[in-house]
Amino acid sequence: MHIIFMAGEVQIPLLAALLLGGCATKLGRAFRAGSLDAALGPTALFPVRLRRPVAIAMSGLELGLGVGLIATAGRFGSHAPAECVRLGTALLFVVATCALLELRSVRPEIGCGCFGELSTSPVNWRTLTRPALLAVAALSTLRLGSVQQARSGGQAATMLGMLVAELILIACLSPELGEALVRLGYSEPCELRVLPAERTLAALRRSKQWRRHAGLLTADMPVDMWRELCWRYLVFPARYGDREAEVVFGVFLRQRRPLVRVALIDAATGAALSWPSPPARGPWRGRSFLRHVVAPSPAPRATPGTGLPLSTDI
Amino acid sequence: MLKARGDRGCCDRCAGAAGMADAARVARRRLFKDAVFGLTPDLAPDPGPLGREGDGPGASGQGPGSGPAEPGLTDAGRLPRAVTGTVLDVSPHVLVIGDLDGPGPEQRFTLTADAMTWRGGQAEPTGLHQGDQAVVRLHPSQRAVVDRIWANIGRVTGTIVEQGHDFVIVDEGAIRRRQTVRIPARAAGRIQVRFPTLQPGYLIDVIGLRQDDHLEGLIPATSQPAYPADRLPEPPLISGHVPDTISGSATWHEPTTGEPPGVLGAYYPALDPETGCVEDTIAGYPRGYARMPYLAVGSALMIRNDCSGTSCVLPVTGCAAVARLFNDRCVTCGTSPRGRVADLTQASFVALGGELDKGCFNATISIGR
Repeated sequence: MHIIFMAGEVQIPLLAALLLGGCATKLGRAFRAGSLDAALGPTALFPVRLRRPVAIAMSGLELGLGVGLIATAGRFGSHAPAECVRLGTALLFVVATCALLELRSVRPEIGCGCFGELSTSPVNWRTLTRPALLAVAALSTLRLGSVQQARSGGQAATMLGMLVAELILIACLSPELGEALVRLGYSEPCELRVLPAERTLAALRRSKQWRRHAGLLTADMPVDMWRELCWRYLVFPARYGDREAEVVFGVFLRQRRPLVRVALIDAATGAALSWPSPPARGPWRGRSFLRHVVAPSPAPRATPGTGLPLSTDI
Repeated sequence: MLKARGDRGCCDRCAGAAGMADAARVARRRLFKDAVFGLTPDLAPDPGPLGREGDGPGASGQGPGSGPAEPGLTDAGRLPRAVTGTVLDVSPHVLVIGDLDGPGPEQRFTLTADAMTWRGGQAEPTGLHQGDQAVVRLHPSQRAVVDRIWANIGRVTGTIVEQGHDFVIVDEGAIRRRQTVRIPARAAGRIQVRFPTLQPGYLIDVIGLRQDDHLEGLIPATSQPAYPADRLPEPPLISGHVPDTISGSATWHEPTTGEPPGVLGAYYPALDPETGCVEDTIAGYPRGYARMPYLAVGSALMIRNDCSGTSCVLPVTGCAAVARLFNDRCVTCGTSPRGRVADLTQASFVALGGELDKGCFNATISIGR
């Protein structure tokens, strides 16, 4: 009998944490999407004009019940207030179970939306079992009264064990857990990574290749810049002896010490040129008077020769 | 500017001219990229050295010219050709295409009994009118013989901004003017089956007859996504490197302002946000469903029509800001993965074997030179 009471006492913090977690993830998604009605799930069952108020009401209800469960756990909310909050929680989960059943039959491709953008996988038996179990858990707390502190170490350990076991059960019933773990360990491929051009330029200027070839450049801002996949290309006007030339840098898009490749092109013919030896240091570096818009040089003719000058900066 | 009207095949190896882009700049970019990776143009491997860390001669230890095999480009001579222009004259056996106002020469093509014509529906070639805007696909083996004609075909793809009794006004992106689509009673049922929510905020994609100031919507080009345009679903996460080939739906668009009819090229859904779509600079504009590698105007795509097996290399000529809002599938032959991978010009779409009145073909793109 004592065990049953202990099990009931474990439910209060667990239910409160789940309700507040659900509310926080929904609000987080809404905040990122810039709209309060961005959350999907059972709101998709309603007409478009009602989705926003329904989404707001659901989040508000979760917040209110979560806070209410905590506030009425002690002596402050004993009897009627506590029972109302716990009954409301049980009703919420019963309604949620029914709504998910309906959602599964009407819009099977939509996720439950229980934990915002983490709940995008379609509703399945796990998603359905979870609110049903939580409804039972909430009903078990109706006659519990105020939550008591553990009287002994053994009792505390038993309650902790129950909490852990229930958490494991809920984790098994939560497809969101896998999604959250994937997101935690996710690293975006370089092809999809958004990296500002200024950062690429800064990384280039810190590179050995830049220091080696800066003496040839006649401007410190590129005349052309574009990106393909993991590389950003920057073209600088240059002078090689008495010839107009262009130095092309290819910078690999990564945050630290990017790979830099470079080539020297004759601006008039489009032919690749050999690098001068030894490279001279540019007298203009660090001067601001050359920071101006540089007109693009004339388009080079087609085919460059073979044996292009190449070097890499690892 | 590479046009289908010229003598060159649809898919020349160096289709390095980009529709609206500065062709010289695009050519320079290709040259510079080759130089950076030590590649010799026209002999270089695709697409490995262009996009992967550690690829390329210097980093991988391979010599120039080594690497993945060159894409199996279809012989340009076997590709169907696309011709666009104004119908100047038509008889049961001859079609004359030209440019009413421009200096372009008249072109005469032979009409056979097999030639199919679309003008709001299947029609006889003699049903064409003088002044109709036509897109013509020539017979693959006989370049003077017409295979297929689409007359006055138009398409509106975008977000509904206003709904009337028998029309909707559609926003096609920041750089295109809003379009009016009138839906005649005979096509209303057909369109509403595929587009049940003709309300502001939802997406629409309709093909029909181009009129002076509106499109007469006749054919739904896809099924309407269930979400409003500003609430796109999260695209699936991609771990590791993006695959070398990406499959999805390839669609077509009408010539935009400044885009010459007949130009070969493709709008791409993921231009580099630093230099890409105008829409990227608008706060709150949806970024799109497709998670595709970032490219720039002038990048080359090899696009394969999975239905016909035809493929060719096309330059990226613009930003597919609206196409990236769709997570639909193409079901022309089988069911494609979700998302639109390219929005082709009419000439490119037809040259790749697409049927304009079907709206899409299942496509696989490879990113290369």
